[in-house]
Amino acid sequence: MTTISAAVTLHGVSRVFGRGPAAVRAVDDVTLEFPRGGWTAVMGPSGSGKSTLLHCAAGLERVDTGRVLLGDTDLTAAGDAQLTTLRRTRIGFVFQSFNLIGALNAEQNVALPLRLAGRRPSRSEVRATLDAVGLADRARHKPRELSGGQQQRVAIARAMVTRPEVLFADEPTGALDSTAARTVLDLMRSMADAGQSIVMVTHDPGAAARADAVVFLRDGRVVDRLAGADARGVADRLAAWER
Amino acid sequence: MLGMSRAGLAERWTLFVGALLSVALGVALVQSSLLLLISAATLDSSASQNGDAAVAMLGVVLGGAVFLAAFVISSTFAFTVDQRRRDLALLRLVGGSRRQVRRLLLGEAVLLGLAGAALGVPAGLPVMAVQAWLMRRFDFVPAGFAGEWRMWILGVSLGGGVLLAVAGVLVAARRAARVRPLDALRESGAAARVMTAGRWIAGLFFLAGALALIIVAPHGGPGGGQAMAMNVAMPAAVAIVAFAPLLVPAIARLMPFGGGVLGSLARANVRDARRRSASVAAPLIVLIALVVGNTGAGASFTAGGIDETARSTHADFVVEGAVPAAAVPGVAVVSTEISVPAEVTVGSGEDQETEAVTALVIDPRAYAAVHGTPVELSGRAVVRGPGGDVPSQGSVHLRLPGADLGELPVVAAVPETMSGGAGLLLPPGLVLEPQVAAAPVRSFVALAPGADPSAVRAGLARFGEVATVGDWLRADAELRNSTNDRVMLIVLGLGGLYALIGVVNSIVIGAATRRREFAEARVTGLTRGQVVRVALLEAYAVTGAALLLGVVAAAAALLAALTTTAAVTGVATLDLPWPLFGAVAALTLTVTGATSLITSWSATRPPPVTLLAAHE
Repeated sequence: MTTISAAVTLHGVSRVFGRGPAAVRAVDDVTLEFPRGGWTAVMGPSGSGKSTLLHCAAGLERVDTGRVLLGDTDLTAAGDAQLTTLRRTRIGFVFQSFNLIGALNAEQNVALPLRLAGRRPSRSEVRATLDAVGLADRARHKPRELSGGQQQRVAIARAMVTRPEVLFADEPTGALDSTAARTVLDLMRSMADAGQSIVMVTHDPGAAARADAVVFLRDGRVVDRLAGADARGVADRLAAWER
Repeated sequence: MLGMSRAGLAERWTLFVGALLSVALGVALVQSSLLLLISAATLDSSASQNGDAAVAMLGVVLGGAVFLAAFVISSTFAFTVDQRRRDLALLRLVGGSRRQVRRLLLGEAVLLGLAGAALGVPAGLPVMAVQAWLMRRFDFVPAGFAGEWRMWILGVSLGGGVLLAVAGVLVAARRAARVRPLDALRESGAAARVMTAGRWIAGLFFLAGALALIIVAPHGGPGGGQAMAMNVAMPAAVAIVAFAPLLVPAIARLMPFGGGVLGSLARANVRDARRRSASVAAPLIVLIALVVGNTGAGASFTAGGIDETARSTHADFVVEGAVPAAAVPGVAVVSTEISVPAEVTVGSGEDQETEAVTALVIDPRAYAAVHGTPVELSGRAVVRGPGGDVPSQGSVHLRLPGADLGELPVVAAVPETMSGGAGLLLPPGLVLEPQVAAAPVRSFVALAPGADPSAVRAGLARFGEVATVGDWLRADAELRNSTNDRVMLIVLGLGGLYALIGVVNSIVIGAATRRREFAEARVTGLTRGQVVRVALLEAYAVTGAALLLGVVAAAAALLAALTTTAAVTGVATLDLPWPLFGAVAALTLTVTGATSLITSWSATRPPPVTLLAAHE
């Protein structure tokens, strides 16, 4: 079932690592839609394949079988050049380990995707994006001069500066203390409320509860969905699947 | 993109200083060799008899400098690119295309090439002064010889620096551009595959080249065979370097690490960081291969030649002067030989070639008796001597100082020998007394059966300095070896130093990117001293493996020397200058050990927690 309303569609997607008896089916025949304008969290025990699922959905990992659609663009058929263009224009990434370029300051990091796309971004455009994550006054700071939470917000600003269709976040609060995590989640909530499609992998029920819906994964398969639950509800469901 | 390059330069300065240094010193070495070659080639040839020899030697020096510069620069650049794999993957992750990654790296290479050359041009001047001093010191050039500055060398050096840097980074940039964006998420950012198709192809290609030289060398005669054997070490070393990511960690693991946790940690590190181990080992392998292979082969050829002469010389005394026949009682045969510098012209028209050779005026019968080879000479006929260089039939045009002897028929040839000698043997009647009055004369004296050697020796003393054949051969061997050593010092001395700096470079670059790894080891419970000791153990294991592999490459050259001496003299000869090998091994172990100590000590200076917390 493919509907145009989905931001990302996975259709019968499998990804196997290794071969022979040592082969691991990290993602096993997953069919799933991430709705447009919604925030979906993907949860599951360690080794359930949630990160691989995110990488496949974002076109970072090739799939062995099945199709991945970004809107109506088939990522599985896209070549390297097309995927590069997609990363510049329609996909944004945020990761647990921030992955900012240490040599560049916050402003330069945020402007980088636009400059790679051959645009010369105006200072006000970049400042506005930094302002949206509450870091307008840190524009000239290098990553090492920022706290973890601030670095992650710069990373979000970098992901959002291209106004992507989908923001992919892999454990965005995994390396943050609870206060910094709350700030980042508040930011993502307000982005989702403004219509941003977000796909987030997390193992933190508190973070997952901020999303609109939670998808549970085990052994590479989707085993459950939950919508509108609070942190306790998500934690109980996760505990049930981890047993 | 240029802004990225500049920012990158400022951030990863140790990587770039290393790359810059490799370009600057490479340019300095090439520039100096080229200027000296031009200066020697334009030298007034009448001022120096050695002019041609100096030009030929400087040609070899220049070739070696270009080879080493290309080698050290490309391996340093490839290593720096590899160390930044994670940064480049990150660039891809946020929308950088493969072309942009390539352009970034090539842009950096142009900047580094220009900056390196700008440093290398002035650095080339003291290098040239040292090289010229060595050439003068060892009498390869006249006393007043000095390298002359040419304005055009600026363009050559700057262009050459950029060319070497860009060529050095081309392959690495292509490879880096294929990095997967996902690699940015991996902590280590280690290169996935170390043995690329390119390495296999290059390795097999140079291996085939080395094998071809080894196979052909014994069939090349004394001159060609020696030249081929002396060129085996280079392709053999390049082949081994190409396979270094496989060979170095495998061999380094076998080194004695000592027991305990530090030894096993060091062993695991060497196995894990294949790329780093290979990068440190590469210049060392080339250095050892060239020094051991070429000095060993050179000494073996000398020893082979001396043995051959000893076997074929049927005389008891050598007198530096003319000994008239029957002048001393107890003497059976005297072969008096006069050395005359000669110019031989062969062919006519465009094919005409003139060569400077030594002509030996002999008494054919005495020469045959003393040197064990029949010589038929009469009238105007001449015979090709043991040095070769002259056709063995047809005719040659011979000029002596102050006399043109015209066209002479070459009627025969004595066998060529390893140690060379006269190019042409002349009958006594051909040359007039005044033409050879000042020429050096040597007489080989064979005793009559039952004669008293000491009495004969005393009788010979009034004709010139007397030595037994054994002493004379030993003195000749010493002279040849000392000439060999001087040539090697000029050809390999500065190049070897450059290769050693390449090794230091790789260790410094490797340690600079290991600060986090060291910090992790320390928070796991290792003391700073233990971390430094592990790094030292690793450095010794890699150096040991490199020494071993360098010796393997050198062994290829020594094998060619063995088969060539066997083919030419009938006896396979190997003579190895062990003290030199020992000194080189001690030097490399000291340098790599000291560098490792200093770099790991400085990399562990900050408290580990600051490094781990400030990540990204």
